[in-house]
Amino acid sequence: MTDPLESVAGAREAPRQRYTLEETGFNEVPRKYRRFYRRWQGPGDSLAPNEVLCPVCKVVIRSTRELRPGDRVYCMPCMSRLVVTEGENGRLEARVAYA
Amino acid sequence: MAPLDPHALDSEAFLEEVHSFEFWFQAVEGYLSERPYGHRPDLPEPELGDTEREGLITTLCSYCVGETIALEGASSMVGFAPNRRQKIFLATQVVDEARHLEVLLHRLLALGVTDPEAEIARRGNRNLLAFKRRLLEFVAGKDWEAALFAQNVILECMEFTVFQSHARTADPLTREVLEGIVVDERRHMGFGENDLGRRLATAPHVRARLAEVRKELDPLVLATFEETQSALGTPRANRSTLGRDYLATVERLGFDA
Repeated sequence: MTDPLESVAGAREAPRQRYTLEETGFNEVPRKYRRFYRRWQGPGDSLAPNEVLCPVCKVVIRSTRELRPGDRVYCMPCMSRLVVTEGENGRLEARVAYA
Repeated sequence: MAPLDPHALDSEAFLEEVHSFEFWFQAVEGYLSERPYGHRPDLPEPELGDTEREGLITTLCSYCVGETIALEGASSMVGFAPNRRQKIFLATQVVDEARHLEVLLHRLLALGVTDPEAEIARRGNRNLLAFKRRLLEFVAGKDWEAALFAQNVILECMEFTVFQSHARTADPLTREVLEGIVVDERRHMGFGENDLGRRLATAPHVRARLAEVRKELDPLVLATFEETQSALGTPRANRSTLGRDYLATVERLGFDA
């Protein structure tokens, strides 16, 4: 599978904002991966441009770069492969990619 | 050394990693170390009223039935799982389920139940026992799709939802025990949904057969939802929302919600 982030079309897009991920206290995956996830805090919580909510287990998935529709991310806590999409309200969402 | 970006892994490397025993071992170390029987040892036993205590004991007895089902189911499924990756993952699930059963039994003892096994036989949810009989038939027939659907999608999704909801209102000690179990359930139901999703993508005819399995098992699951919430005293108005995650899962797999 071609990583959309590495594609020619992707390279023509505006540069993506980069993020330094800090530890969030998430401890449900091996230590080396923990900063890439955080717990969803409920209705008062909001997602940053580098975050998307896993529809399977409701953990927040974090990336070192701004996410865009078509990106592939992984939810290690529930073992799901996900594709970022744009929801009806313009917010980024994640769809499970089984195949 | 730069942090390892999991999103940079290719699909196969990701699947290899998350199904591995090593991944499981390093994951559970994060949230289970220094929590014997699933909670910090210095947490005091809460003072519960008689009604609350009785409701909690009945609920925990049903949880023990569910965990025993998953323990027996997962351990038997190792023998006919289609590939090595699934076998290793299921072996980690067996350990998880055994731990869940043990911490719940320990919680019953702490609540003053002198013979937990007898109490489970007396109070355990009858619908779950009917579910167990059917699941073990699928397992005996080495029917991977039906067993995986019943156990890792239907049962695990129900447990994930019920435990998560219960943890929000439980006493602090029970909450810690349940939160540790919920983390494990994420892996179990994710494994079920994703493995089945990949299978359905290449063998769509399986969906019709699983729809029949679902039609048979749904009433048992929904009745268990209802009875558990009744024992916990959840207001009736809040109960319908509990099945939402389960319905969302089956919808993602292409079954009518």
